[in-house]
Amino acid sequence: MDYPIREFAMGGGVLIAVVAILHVVVSHFAVGGGLVMAILETAAVKRNDRPLRDLVKRSSMILLLLSTVFGAISGVGIWFTIGVVHPAATSSLIHTFVWAWATEWTFFLLEVVTALAWVATWGKVSPRTHLLLIWLYAFAAFMSLVVIQGILGFMLTPGSYPRTFSFWDGFLNPTYLPGILFRTGACVLLAAAWIAFAALREPDRDARARLSRILGAAGALGIGVAGIGWFVWERALPDSVQRLFLGEKPLIAALATGRSHTLRMFAVAAVLALLVLVLPKLQSWPVAILALLAGAGILAGYERVREGVRKPFVIAEQMFSNGVLVSEIDRLNEEGILSKAAWATKEAGGRPVPLGEAVFRAECASCHTRDGYLGIRKIASAMDAEFAAMFLTAMRDDGANWKARAAGKDVKPDYAFMPPFVGTDEELNALARWLASLNAAQVAEATHAR
Amino acid sequence: MPADTLLLPALDPMPIPGPPWLFHALWLVTFAIHVVGVNVVLGSSILGTIASLDRDRTFGRGVARFFAEVNTWAISLTITFGIAPLLFLQVLHGRLFYSATVILAPAWLGLLLLLMAAYYLTYRAKYRLRAGKGAAVHLGLSALLFLGVAAIQVVVHLLSVQPGRWEGVLASPWTALSDRSFLPRFLHFVLAGITLAGILLAWVSVRRVPEEGARAEASARAGFGVKIALLATLLQLVDGLWLTISVPREVLLGLMRGGAATMLPLTLGIAAGFGLLVFLARVRDPIADRTSVRRSLELFGLAMVLMLVTRHQLRDLYIAAASAHAAPATTGQWGVFAIFLGCFVLCTALAIVAVVRSVRDRPGPGEATA
Repeated sequence: MDYPIREFAMGGGVLIAVVAILHVVVSHFAVGGGLVMAILETAAVKRNDRPLRDLVKRSSMILLLLSTVFGAISGVGIWFTIGVVHPAATSSLIHTFVWAWATEWTFFLLEVVTALAWVATWGKVSPRTHLLLIWLYAFAAFMSLVVIQGILGFMLTPGSYPRTFSFWDGFLNPTYLPGILFRTGACVLLAAAWIAFAALREPDRDARARLSRILGAAGALGIGVAGIGWFVWERALPDSVQRLFLGEKPLIAALATGRSHTLRMFAVAAVLALLVLVLPKLQSWPVAILALLAGAGILAGYERVREGVRKPFVIAEQMFSNGVLVSEIDRLNEEGILSKAAWATKEAGGRPVPLGEAVFRAECASCHTRDGYLGIRKIASAMDAEFAAMFLTAMRDDGANWKARAAGKDVKPDYAFMPPFVGTDEELNALARWLASLNAAQVAEATHAR
Repeated sequence: MPADTLLLPALDPMPIPGPPWLFHALWLVTFAIHVVGVNVVLGSSILGTIASLDRDRTFGRGVARFFAEVNTWAISLTITFGIAPLLFLQVLHGRLFYSATVILAPAWLGLLLLLMAAYYLTYRAKYRLRAGKGAAVHLGLSALLFLGVAAIQVVVHLLSVQPGRWEGVLASPWTALSDRSFLPRFLHFVLAGITLAGILLAWVSVRRVPEEGARAEASARAGFGVKIALLATLLQLVDGLWLTISVPREVLLGLMRGGAATMLPLTLGIAAGFGLLVFLARVRDPIADRTSVRRSLELFGLAMVLMLVTRHQLRDLYIAAASAHAAPATTGQWGVFAIFLGCFVLCTALAIVAVVRSVRDRPGPGEATA
């Protein structure tokens, strides 16, 4: 948090979400594509099945482009984005998990080399060598998922890590295995949905139907595995989060709604996969597009819910999304948030930043924009300075609940999805006045109209 | 500027999971591989553009196609090899790196779009050239975009090691380009890229004695590569001098006073640069003098590695000059490190097997192919 601050018009969280969802969809296809294509090519070689072999060949270039071009760049893109939006959290994760990331990188290296070699050697090497290449690719791609899931799960459910600080306690966290199960299913589902487009280009009608049926079966299997994974994953989440899914807090109903939408996507994808499995001749471009959207929707929904239930933390029970550590709440209440966030008073362009606005930039701008996503002007529209100060004081008092919860006590913070306010009275009042000033013009206008 | 007046983020309280020397070593090794790729990509896109403008269309498009084919592979591998040094950099200098990227966020994030567009254009160029069409515009644009990527990397690097400039650049972002050493440093990269691409073209053209019918073309390609590499190396020597005098005084003094540890790599690097010049100048007939072409490639590699050591030392000297050095707390994660090392060996071995099998396995007539 004592890093320079950059406000994005769309909000830092939205920026991360856009890059992450694009990357996640593509990278899951890259993993699932490896597994599905390895199995299909093996079957094609064993049975001397020409249409199946041609299907794999037709799909191979898109696997290469998505995996080594878009996947690689968007993967680096996530890295760049989280480093800019949440530098303190990124640093903390790097210090804890650098060897895990480095291990994932070794698998990615193998993935890229084998993908390039596999696509370049169609019609040049023996089937045996070609199968070796795609199986090596599938192994490497799947292992990269196995490694990265440890870090992603840690950010949501760190398990006993906050007490032990042991790498393995954090890595093998409660949502590690369920997450792998869900993601593996999603990978297979997405791969089947992507490859379905290549199957539609098969000129022979009977062969096309047969290929579509195979892919329908793969899709159905993927949905089954992902569904079991989701079910187990939900049960591995803390009770408080599971209650939110059931709509315990109407103010954050979006989370429960997001979960419902994702489950509906599951249903749509399952119906389409079964339809193609039973009546493969019904497979067509609209059905394939719908299935792909449903598959991507499941994954995007999962990521949205995963990010949502992690709030207000960026690393659960340790660091809030604004970079404040649970362990420094008391100190910052005494010394002031700006003792940690000197950069909040400096803005791009060199404009002098008033105290209240600086406090907003330090504590709120990682989630709230002024007028865009979670726009603070709208949220504060009903507040005058006195009300805002009252609200912020209650949020500051909530800090004690967050500390107690992190210490393992069964305490429910009053504002479950907001970090506590931290700072001195002077900072609190300055922020309250600044929030009230955002709508001063409208208030004056309304008063005048009356 | 004294450290306490800098707006320097506090050191991450989380210890780093190993001794700093280990991360420095891994950073240098992986960065060296990444930089080879960077040079190939940058140089290939520039030389591909130059070649595709050649009056002799057959020759020009042939060379341009070579570079476009090389680049579609090289870009993937360069990005992949860039991930590891990025990780180790963040472990050692996270607070400097993140601060610079936040301050230059629009350019830093925009770099990804430039990279993606350049990659796409390279693929388009490759398929156009395979189809016998021209691709000067595609290659030219991709070269411009890669130059943009390189410029952003240089600017971010220079800003990250000079915390005293952060506030000024945040207030006025374009002043990031006003660093005295930006231009010579940027040119250093560009010229190295052109040199490597030139030697690579020459070496690939003559590494085996070409058949009689292909001799003239191979010789012309190799000659083109050697000439360009020679010119770029000459300019590099001038630029190297410019870069040296543009480095802040206290940093330069630190380099000079570092004794053998700093002066040996620098001196040997410069000597390797001169040696490269001599070998390139000696090549009259690249086919007859294939050894000189190969030696040039080896000397380039040596000069590059030595210069990377100097670059690494310069970074530390910059940071020391800004009083931004701090010793992070360390802890051991040796078990996890062993897993990383094991996976690295395994994956590298498997990658080598994959490449060797791909190159060597050629079924005979009548045998099945994939």
